Amino acid sequence: METIPLIQLQILSAILFVAGLATVLMRRNLFFVLMGVELMLNAANLSFLAWSRVQSGVSTMEGQVAPLFSIAIAAAEACVGLAMLLAVFRSRESLDTDAYSRMKE
Amino acid sequence: MGFAMIAQVYFWIFAAIAALCALGVFASRHPINGAMCLIGTMVALSGVFSLIASPFMATLQVLVYAGAVMMLLVFVIMVLNSAKDHSTPLFDGAGLFGILPAVALGALLVRVFVGLDKKSVVAMNPEAPRGDVEAISKTLFGAGQHVGGWALLFLGVGLVLLTAIVGAVLLAKRHLDSPSEPATIEGGH
Repeated sequence: METIPLIQLQILSAILFVAGLATVLMRRNLFFVLMGVELMLNAANLSFLAWSRVQSGVSTMEGQVAPLFSIAIAAAEACVGLAMLLAVFRSRESLDTDAYSRMKE
Repeated sequence: MGFAMIAQVYFWIFAAIAALCALGVFASRHPINGAMCLIGTMVALSGVFSLIASPFMATLQVLVYAGAVMMLLVFVIMVLNSAKDHSTPLFDGAGLFGILPAVALGALLVRVFVGLDKKSVVAMNPEAPRGDVEAISKTLFGAGQHVGGWALLFLGVGLVLLTAIVGAVLLAKRHLDSPSEPATIEGGH
């Protein structure tokens, strides 16, 4: 059974990661910042899974297990991030990332 | 047209969908459009995971990411009704500084992939074990070379999730000192 070449999977992963990074750094809306983080985590998961299937002497099941934890951390991150977003939106009525710079008030 | 050919064609389709939807996340104006694009990316990635023989992760991708995390995100978007929020611009001057790291990382990756020596490329192993539930559970909880390592991490992640739930409830509560808040038109969250 042939498989997809590693290089193609890594290129797709790189494209998704760069798109997520650009979204996090450049968008002003807090929702998009959270979505960019999710995109980057997805790209990392794809990279993990691709590397778990390369030719090597040892069994590489770890590459299949690591994304499990990545997904769990992403769920926790989305949970806390959205709660913070709710709290900030309630007091500022804005989704601008600058609203976060005055969280102490 | 053998199996490898079909798998390759499917990979290109899924990769195109994933990449286009990722660009859609970056460029869309309303958060709901961005969330829908992100769900498209995740479902396409789930297809890619299936193609590289990781059925368990493909299932989790749909169940947890596209199902739970994105449902939560879309739900919050609809609760906040941020369509009213016209004051937040799509991009601004400070965002220009964000181009630099993104372009630098992109150029670095292109440089790596273009300058790659074809002979040094790591080959995929067709005989690698499938990432199904049995193999993953044996790695996670099985007694072997890494006794306890992944299982302890698994317990730790459970604690992290519990902490996140408590933190989210505390953050989203309106007033910490009023346990029973009166129901308003907006609904009590």
